[in-house]
Amino acid sequence: MFGLVHLVPGDPVRLALGTRFSQESYDALRERSGLDQPLVEQFFGWFGRALTGDLGVSFRSGETVTSQIAERLPATLTLAFASILVALLIAVPLGTVSALRPRSLVDRVATVISQFGISVPDFWMGIVLILVFAGTLGWLPSGGYVPLTEDPGAWLQRLLMPALVTGVVSGSVITRFVRSSVLEALGADHVRTAQAKGLGTRQVFTWHVLRNALLPLVTVTGVQLAYLLSGVVVVEIVFSWPGLGQLALQAVQARDYPVLQGAILLFALVFLVINLVVDLLYSAIDPRIRR
Amino acid sequence: MTAPVLEVEDLRVRLRTPRGPADVVNGLSYTVGAGETVAVVGESGSGKSVSVLALLGLLPARVATVTGRAVLQGEDLLTMPPQRLRQVRGPGAGMVFQDPMTSLNPVLTIGRQLVEGIRAHGDVSKQAARGRAAELLREVGLPDPERALDRYPHELSGGMRQRVVIAIALSNSPSLLIADEATTALDVTVQAQIIDLVEKLQDEHGTGVIWITHDLGVVAGIADRVLVMYGGRCVEDGTVDDVLERPAHPYTRGLLGSLPDLAAPVGPDGEVPELTAVPGLPPPPTDLPPGCVFWPRCPVRADPRCETEQPPLAVVSRAAAAGPGGATASGAHAGDGAGLPHRAATWCAEEEVPRG
Repeated sequence: MFGLVHLVPGDPVRLALGTRFSQESYDALRERSGLDQPLVEQFFGWFGRALTGDLGVSFRSGETVTSQIAERLPATLTLAFASILVALLIAVPLGTVSALRPRSLVDRVATVISQFGISVPDFWMGIVLILVFAGTLGWLPSGGYVPLTEDPGAWLQRLLMPALVTGVVSGSVITRFVRSSVLEALGADHVRTAQAKGLGTRQVFTWHVLRNALLPLVTVTGVQLAYLLSGVVVVEIVFSWPGLGQLALQAVQARDYPVLQGAILLFALVFLVINLVVDLLYSAIDPRIRR
Repeated sequence: MTAPVLEVEDLRVRLRTPRGPADVVNGLSYTVGAGETVAVVGESGSGKSVSVLALLGLLPARVATVTGRAVLQGEDLLTMPPQRLRQVRGPGAGMVFQDPMTSLNPVLTIGRQLVEGIRAHGDVSKQAARGRAAELLREVGLPDPERALDRYPHELSGGMRQRVVIAIALSNSPSLLIADEATTALDVTVQAQIIDLVEKLQDEHGTGVIWITHDLGVVAGIADRVLVMYGGRCVEDGTVDDVLERPAHPYTRGLLGSLPDLAAPVGPDGEVPELTAVPGLPPPPTDLPPGCVFWPRCPVRADPRCETEQPPLAVVSRAAAAGPGGATASGAHAGDGAGLPHRAATWCAEEEVPRG
């Protein structure tokens, strides 16, 4: 990853200095940012400092990378969790209903909706929402982010549209999974045993179908959450949402290596943590995995 | 004889399949008395399982059309409202399924699966239901029942799991127990244990049992009466002795002939006599023959009507077997106590060959 970042053509020092600069100031900045050293040394230096929590200083702003990430993190966390909530609210009922009545009208409509959600570009959906709700109807602001602690009302207003866009996209993916896993759980032999015991329909469904369909749902939700946490760049830009995706994109444009490396390190950590959580949930859900 | 626990009359099941409607069960009638075991035998695809699943409304309603009458203790299962049917599943009829590896929910404990069945049919406290569950597990011979309650199905062997399934089926003291290939997936020693267990429980509780199997060895061991199914029809029924010793229908004879006979003489060079198979396959339920369902595979075909006309289920007996149309026979066999006639849907009963 480190190598890849440095392989990208373009000189960060040149970009930081603008169009007119002297050789002296160029060399000075190069030395200050450690870019004059061999790449291997740069890597180990960075890696060693990263282990102590020091991710370096941004070439562009001069702020520490950790503070820049910390600044963006709340916005990203907010959007990611709101989106996954929207996604689950869409996917679980829709997937379940279509699994209960396969090939029915409901199922077909659900399939069309989720295919739509998967295939329509998110920026387009975002722009349409802005045009309708911010433009024509004027109900919601077109973008921006206000922390929850400052003004909960404004926070929710600004969160609604981006969360809906990313939620619909993730929800469409999850719907397909819910449908197939519920369908599979419904066909299991033990469902018939439960019915033969004389359990009510709801009890059979909750404890012998949904409960067993949970495992694949947890997996796919984890994957979606990891994706959302690593920043949904396009949606962030459309809604001027100051998340990590935007930060990473700006870092790429400015060849701001420390920020980019910091962001990538964070994304990798997010994936690791989510995978761990998913694995832990697995063993909580399925006794066969427990030891 | 006391009033039967279950009286099935002209049961028909039609399934919607991609290849058109399939007549899986075609006019099945039988009764099960209290404490009586009726074995339903037939090869795969003869409609055995479907016929009992239909009784309890366990076939998917979107694909299955069930008609006829099935009176369980005075109430018709096929016309009762779903809510009532739910109450009957359990206390009215318990069911044991074929594969113990899949018929328990893998993510719930044994205890939970027993308790929810008990609590579905009575206002029982969790604690009391748990006690009852442990008692049931002890009754079906599970070692250390208290601890078994907290175990998951994957922690038990197949035989133990089937005992749990039986415990679940018995948890509401049903008047009818339906065992659908309950021992097929188990090895022979476990099979024998399960059969003994069911017989013992049946003696204690006077439960009527429908035992579905394709294993004629099991039939001889457990059944009072046998019903042979083929192509969704009953082709022969009667007491175990009548059907197994004096089979009248060519299909039953074929089925019996395909059993290995351990007493058969071994050839001079140690050669074992070959098994006689019934050639061919059962007719697809989407395309049943117009006449006798067995006609396409029948080695006898002694009557020209067989091809075009379905022979009625008529009483046969050894005395009457001399002439075609055993229906005129004077009645049931004496001696088996059940007092039930030996019937077969065939015009070819005179071909009877005593089985060696």
